[in-house]
Amino acid sequence: MRRRTFLQMAALGAGSIAVPRRARALGDASRVAIGQIEHAGRWNPRPSALRRLSWELAQRTSIDSAPDGVPVKLSGNAVHLLPFLYLAGDGAMPPFSEGDLGVLRRHLQYGGFLLVDAADGSNGSGFDASVRRELQRLLPASPLARIPREHVLYKSFYLLDHQGGRVITRPWMEGQFLNGRLAVAYSQNDLGGAWARGQLGEWEYDCTPGGDGQRETAFRLGVNLAMYALCTDYKDDAVHLPFILRRRS
Amino acid sequence: MAAALAALASILLAWRGLRREPRVGRKVLLVGLRTVSAIAALLLLAEPALRVVQTARVRNRLAVLVDRSRSMNFPVEPGGESRTQAAARFVAGARPGLDALASEASVEGWGFARDAWPADLSALARADPATGGATDILGALRATAGGSGAPGRRLAGVLLVTDGADNGALASGLSGQARADLLSLGVPVNVVTVGTDAPRDLAIERVAVDDFAFVRSTVTVEATLHARGFGREDVQVLLRREGQVLAQATLKLEPGKESYVVPLSFAPDTTGTFVITVATPVLPGEAVAENNARSFVLRVIRDRVRVLLVAGHPSWDERFLRGLLKQDPNVDLVSFFILRTAGDNPGPQDQLSLIPFPVAEIFGTQLRTFDAVIFVDFAYQPYRTLDIERFLPGLRDYVRGGGGFAMVGGGQSFAQGHYGSTPLQDILAVNAPEGMGETAEPFRPRLTPEGRRHPVTSLVPGEGANEAAWTALPAIPGLNFTAPLPATDGARVLLEAPTLLSGGRPAPVVAVREVGAGRSLAVTTDGTWYWGFVAAGDGQGGRAHQRFWNAALRWLVRDPSLAPLQLQPDRPSVEPGEPVGFSVSVRGPDYGPAPGSTVEGSLVAEDGRVVGQARARAGADGQARLEFPAPPPGAYRLQASAEVPGAPLERGAAAVAVRANGAEDSDAAPRPELLKQVAEATGGTFTNLPHSGLPEIRMREPEVVEVGRKRDRPLWDRWWTIAFLACALGGEWLLRRRSGHW
Repeated sequence: MRRRTFLQMAALGAGSIAVPRRARALGDASRVAIGQIEHAGRWNPRPSALRRLSWELAQRTSIDSAPDGVPVKLSGNAVHLLPFLYLAGDGAMPPFSEGDLGVLRRHLQYGGFLLVDAADGSNGSGFDASVRRELQRLLPASPLARIPREHVLYKSFYLLDHQGGRVITRPWMEGQFLNGRLAVAYSQNDLGGAWARGQLGEWEYDCTPGGDGQRETAFRLGVNLAMYALCTDYKDDAVHLPFILRRRS
Repeated sequence: MAAALAALASILLAWRGLRREPRVGRKVLLVGLRTVSAIAALLLLAEPALRVVQTARVRNRLAVLVDRSRSMNFPVEPGGESRTQAAARFVAGARPGLDALASEASVEGWGFARDAWPADLSALARADPATGGATDILGALRATAGGSGAPGRRLAGVLLVTDGADNGALASGLSGQARADLLSLGVPVNVVTVGTDAPRDLAIERVAVDDFAFVRSTVTVEATLHARGFGREDVQVLLRREGQVLAQATLKLEPGKESYVVPLSFAPDTTGTFVITVATPVLPGEAVAENNARSFVLRVIRDRVRVLLVAGHPSWDERFLRGLLKQDPNVDLVSFFILRTAGDNPGPQDQLSLIPFPVAEIFGTQLRTFDAVIFVDFAYQPYRTLDIERFLPGLRDYVRGGGGFAMVGGGQSFAQGHYGSTPLQDILAVNAPEGMGETAEPFRPRLTPEGRRHPVTSLVPGEGANEAAWTALPAIPGLNFTAPLPATDGARVLLEAPTLLSGGRPAPVVAVREVGAGRSLAVTTDGTWYWGFVAAGDGQGGRAHQRFWNAALRWLVRDPSLAPLQLQPDRPSVEPGEPVGFSVSVRGPDYGPAPGSTVEGSLVAEDGRVVGQARARAGADGQARLEFPAPPPGAYRLQASAEVPGAPLERGAAAVAVRANGAEDSDAAPRPELLKQVAEATGGTFTNLPHSGLPEIRMREPEVVEVGRKRDRPLWDRWWTIAFLACALGGEWLLRRRSGHW
């Protein structure tokens, strides 16, 4: 056994001992797994990002998360086993086929949620240009719009008033809405880059310009995104409002 | 016209020709003779004749209309004879006068109340108690104008003997359409009014309330009371529901004031159909005791089904169930999700949006405001500081008392949540003892025989189609092992996992249970979202998930439309003396018509007395009818049961009110002013009793009709007409010749 492999196994073992956790779902199929869409471009630029986000979800919340993201192709029914989808990319992405777009559209229309993350931090080119083109094809009646600061996404678990990510290309997120529900959330700030962590515990990328605070915000945003996918507008229920207003004041 | 002009011209010419005649007498004589000749000539040309016609005067009708409504039983004045007696005495005393009118009119006797009917005058002169339940003076006048046994004779006049306590078209006075209708009769109405003082009486005249109300929402009942003959007194006005006082108010009576409106408010705490009664005590000296209470039927419905959804952690099952309930406009959803664990580390509390779990509030004070409580993989144990366990007995009692409860599966549910050793086991729809495991093995559930007919598991109409719909759904990823409860506990397994055995039998997936007045549902999987979101990926849409949970919720909250035995009164409020009837619809376990079912019903009074029993057999369409002989006034509840072959006894209930009094009894005050207006408007006379003999009676002039052939006699066709003309002309000619005028 090579020294690096031994250290990796030891680290993973220590993690599992440190976090004894009882499963709250009936089997892996009922756990909350994030499906990562495989597309014809660089679809998995941050391979460790979803594993780390899932780990953080388990550490910070009661979500019974799967240990890692699940790669999924749009061609086929497997996408409907994963209501929370993650579309990432680095650089330009070839167009989806009409069939793939139809599957994704149906997924969202029946209650699914899509997080789009530009790993290249692009703005007007690269992945950004590609994904804007595809999202316009996906939901032509619901153009991308800035998600208001008052949206429940920013209070679904953490109270957030700024963005996180490996970079801050844009200090806001955009979204597409279906019947008032946020169905697609798009970040140009490389959330996956902030989440990515190597098996030895090192952060794979620095966060600029905010450093670790910006990384923490990225995790908090990831938690909120997962909470929103699972609870939608729960935190908009009347019973929560006085508490939230008091803490924000 | 030409002949008349020619005659006039000849007279003028004669006058002109005599201009120089000095003797005026001669001049006048000549012009006069010319005038007589011209008239005689015109008479010959016009050929006038005399027509001779034989006629006779028709003897028309005089209607004597005597009030026979119940208000006539009240005394004319306190302690005096009744109005009926006074009216009868008047009719008897007026008989000679009426007989004397026989040459002018045919005198007819009529009695009237709600309707009018011909009656012998001798009968009207007897003081029999009046029984009519309403007074409609205008309707009675119309009926008498229409005639009786004397066709062709017009009504020439009416002698109306009444107290004027009209509750028909003239109830609100003589104005508008009522006045126009009265005048259109064209008959003088001679009024004899009986009764001067209103009796001492307190009556609930009217109750204003909607036909239905929403549960837990305040309903205001406006009772209009009439009080006459009282001084300053306090009266308690009660609002009762089948014996239970819902609200009360103190009414302060004042001398001279007769009408009072008393608002009574209450919030119904349960759904159903109820008889509500507004009542006052019977005060000393009251003329009528029965009008001190008035009942009505109120249907209490849900505005929205109030559901408490408690989830042990965010999950896809919770996500899609919440989404479904949240979209339903008929559901008022209150959600509480446990978003943290005891050992997590999310960071500073003040940076979180989380709120404390208000256990005492939702499981204590607020619990009974919910129609149904749903636990989605919710554990009571991990939160020691919250001490949820102490509220479990209350939750059990809530279900027994009529609440709905559903437990949905997961790693913290049923046996995994250790509920089998808590008070909740008493109401769970399955047995979940400690040690029963769980499985992540996918399975396809199968309908049990009970599940094929039950509304909760009815995805599509028709047994075969429903079974096919369940078969087509995707496999579910795991369940909590539980054991079925015996049918004697009121539990039924509707859906089971044929490939997953529990104690050698297929493990329950969906089970229902009747617990006291409430209902319980068990769903032993956290994968019902597969019937929606995952099925949508197979092209099936999400309808199965939606239909299952909609039906489950309706069943849990006892949606009346799902009850196998439906009872509907013919009328919610029945007049006194009328039979009480109910339409019955019986459905079998498959929720189709249950022909041949035996339905038995008991009509139960407020005090629990059974006042009537009936039995019927449902026809081919599952319909039956129960009818009870007229019960006394009051509020009644129909308790019915139906024996459906192959199914447990179904029970149902409905309510009906038999009115204690109508307007006839609630307001019996004489109305002489109204009657005076009637007399004046129609040209009749107005007389107050007492009065001896027959007062002045005005009638229309009798009609004159031809009774023989017409004959025409010519006036010109006579010899003397020609002779007269010849003499006049000849006389003028002779006189002119002698006087030199030619």
